[in-house]
Order: sequence, then C-alpha cells, then structure tokens
Amino acid sequence: MILYPAIDIRGGQAVRLLQGDYERETTYDSDPVDAARRWAEEGAQFLHVVDLDGAKAGEPRNLEAVRRIAAAVPCPIQVGGGLRGPEAVSAVLAAGAERVVIGTAALRDPQFLDAVVGEHGESVVVSIDTRGGKVSLAGWTETSELDASSAVADLTGRGVRRFLCTAIEVDGTMEGPAIRELNGIAAATSAQVIASGGVGDLPHLEELARETAPNIEGAIVGRALYERKFTVAEAIAALT
Amino acid sequence: MSARIAILDYGMGNLRSAEKALEHVGVSARMSRDPVEVQAADGVILPGVGAMPRAMERIREYGLDELIAERREAGVPILGICLGLQLLFESTSEFGGSGGLGLLEGPVETLHAEGLKVPHIGWSPVSWERESRLTEGLPSGTPFYFVHSFAPRPAAEDVLGTAEYGSRFACAAERENVFGVQFHPEKSSSAGLRLLANFAGICAKAPAAA
Repeated sequence: MILYPAIDIRGGQAVRLLQGDYERETTYDSDPVDAARRWAEEGAQFLHVVDLDGAKAGEPRNLEAVRRIAAAVPCPIQVGGGLRGPEAVSAVLAAGAERVVIGTAALRDPQFLDAVVGEHGESVVVSIDTRGGKVSLAGWTETSELDASSAVADLTGRGVRRFLCTAIEVDGTMEGPAIRELNGIAAATSAQVIASGGVGDLPHLEELARETAPNIEGAIVGRALYERKFTVAEAIAALT
Repeated sequence: MSARIAILDYGMGNLRSAEKALEHVGVSARMSRDPVEVQAADGVILPGVGAMPRAMERIREYGLDELIAERREAGVPILGICLGLQLLFESTSEFGGSGGLGLLEGPVETLHAEGLKVPHIGWSPVSWERESRLTEGLPSGTPFYFVHSFAPRPAAEDVLGTAEYGSRFACAAERENVFGVQFHPEKSSSAGLRLLANFAGICAKAPAAA
C-alpha cells in the first residue's frame, strides 16, 4: 500500500482539523512547503494536499502553495479542496498536481463529474466522506441519506477509477481506521480506494495492510506524522 | 567540480520538476534551447510530457535534432526521461506514427497491458538487466514512478532495466553516452534523486564540453 502523508493548508499554513471541524484546528507548520519537504525527505512516494480555504470557498485559494509544493518535492502530489468546475481542475493540474481530488461536487454536479472524468480519467480521485455508512455532504456539516456503498458503485459505473474514503467519526482522532466501513465500500467497486482517517500508530497501518480488501491501495496519514508517532519510512514499512 | 546540465526546452510540458530535482542533488541545471548554452554543458537531459509526433515537430523546428546528434558525437552524456527516452529511438506508432531521433535502435510501441488500464500510472519495481554507473547504489527491484502509454523496444544489448505492467517492458536503456528512463526520476523520491545524482556524476567525468 502507498502512504499518502497529508498536508492541509489553511490561511497559508499546514494545519490539522479534528473530525473536519474548522473550530478544532492545530497548526503544525507555518509554511506547508516545509511539511512537504520533510515528508519527501523521509521517503514519501506521494503527497495528499488539501486546500481547506478552497474547500470552504468553493474554489482553489492556495494555488501558489500547491505550485511551490509540486516544485519542491521529488514525488507526485494529489490536490483537493474547492474543485467544483473544470477551470479549477485545470488550474490545479497546471500548478503541478498529478491528480485532482473532487469532493461532493462529484455527487451534486453529474455534468461536471462526466466532463472531468472524460478529460482527465486516471488523474481524478473522488472523495467520499462517510458517517455511519452514509455519505456526508457540504464540508462534513450535513449527512445525507445516501448509502456510501451505493454512491461508490454508481460513480464507478460513471467512470471513476479511484476513491478516497474518509470516515468522519475517526478522522483526526488517531484511534484507529474504520476497517469494516472501508471494506464495505471497497467491495462495492472495482476502482482503487485510498483509506483515510484514524491512523495513530504503526499497528493501525499494519492492520490496514493486513485486513483490508486488495483494491484498497493506500492510506492517508495526517496528525500521527505531525506528532511524530512514527516516521514516513516506518509507516511505509508497516504498509508493505 | 560539479557538472552543469542543460535541460532541453522544446516548449512542451512542465520541465520545472526536473530542474528542481537536479538542484536538490546539488547540480546546476538550466533549461535551454540555445546551442551555445547547451554546448557549454557537461550533460544534456531530454525531458518530456506529451505526444511524440508533436514533440519531434518542435525539436526539428528549433534545430535541436542536429544539436543532440552533435552532442552525442562529442561524447557528452545524454539522458532521456519518459517521452524524452522515447524520442531517442527510431520511430513511434503513436498518433499515426512519426520518426524519432534515432540515437538508439528500435521502435516505440504501445504498452501490451492485457487487461490493465493504459496509461500505466504509478509506482512499479524496476529490475536492472546489467550493471551501470547510472544505477549505482540502487538495488534491482527499486520502485520508480511511471506515467506512460508507450514504451520502447530497444536492441537487447541496450536494455538496462525492465518493469512489469501486463507484460514485461524495457524501461531503461543505455548505449555508450546515451541513457534513457521511461519512469520519472524527478518524481521517484530518494531513488530518483540518486539516479539523477549518478547521471550528474557521469557528466562530471565525461570529456570536457566543447
């Protein structure tokens, strides 16, 4: 499995939120490029960058930081946050991202999804946030009645090749990933799935590597890396 | 003295990441298509993103085909990356076909990735088929980052490395002072940086630039 160290940018700084709550934020690096360099130097094979300001605003707000990160690290990066139109997607790819991560716009705006998948296929990741097996919408403040597995199955039929699944209950808690929920979603698709949320120690990563479906290809780790619970190299070894 | 490397700028794709990666390993790299500047460099990198026929058009437009052939004759190390590797070969079947620079023998063909998605995007382990200064310190099986739909079919004696995607394909080639890799060393973490540093080391030891 591939480790994706996470870099969430808010107000130009690298921060972590607890359970997606903008009121419960911790700042770790005043310049997100420092975080990117640190993870890359420890051997990261991919970085996961989220523009939190962009997610709130509905359009990218930290393109310059994305450009600087892409130029600073010798590994590919994927970028999400506020990508709701084809221009925003093109701007992020032009800034040096290998992949774009589309959030709820994928569910709310089928025309946009079809256009982006049609044009950028392999470079598109659709991010699904879940709470109790249901899809959560609107930046995690609103839970729908939409079943996460059916949403993923439907999106797979529309050409989505990679998902990012975050279980909100565990995100930022470091109390362990939502393995059962992840496997339920992975079983509903032939696409690749990246697991996100809850990783706090190396046994959590070993559990992900051992207990998850084969199409769960990677894991996003945030807070545990910033708090030095383990290094990137140790995390990669635990996932292998 | 450390090597100076020219990254050939033929107006396609994002070349900044290659330049940054070289800076990272302490090599002075410059994007250029100016013959005087390129001839002053100890080594040449041919980068590339995009389609080969269009890239060849640009290369001819800027007269870089002759410049590259002249540098090869001068014994200056040349490294092709991704599309840059494919350009070193004789021809491609991409988009109705096109000729290449012909510095290495063989065609460029579509990946035979039975049952798998093309392009091949992701990390794949690379096996070295022989020893090379380019791969010093990098064990066989080291993963590198790929983004491609085509791959070359070099002469057997020029194959330096292979990877597997549906079938085995050549992903690194070497003949005298001409080197090429299908993967992106500038996106391949510490292993990629090591390979670029090895190339810079080869350049520093090569005959002085004219």
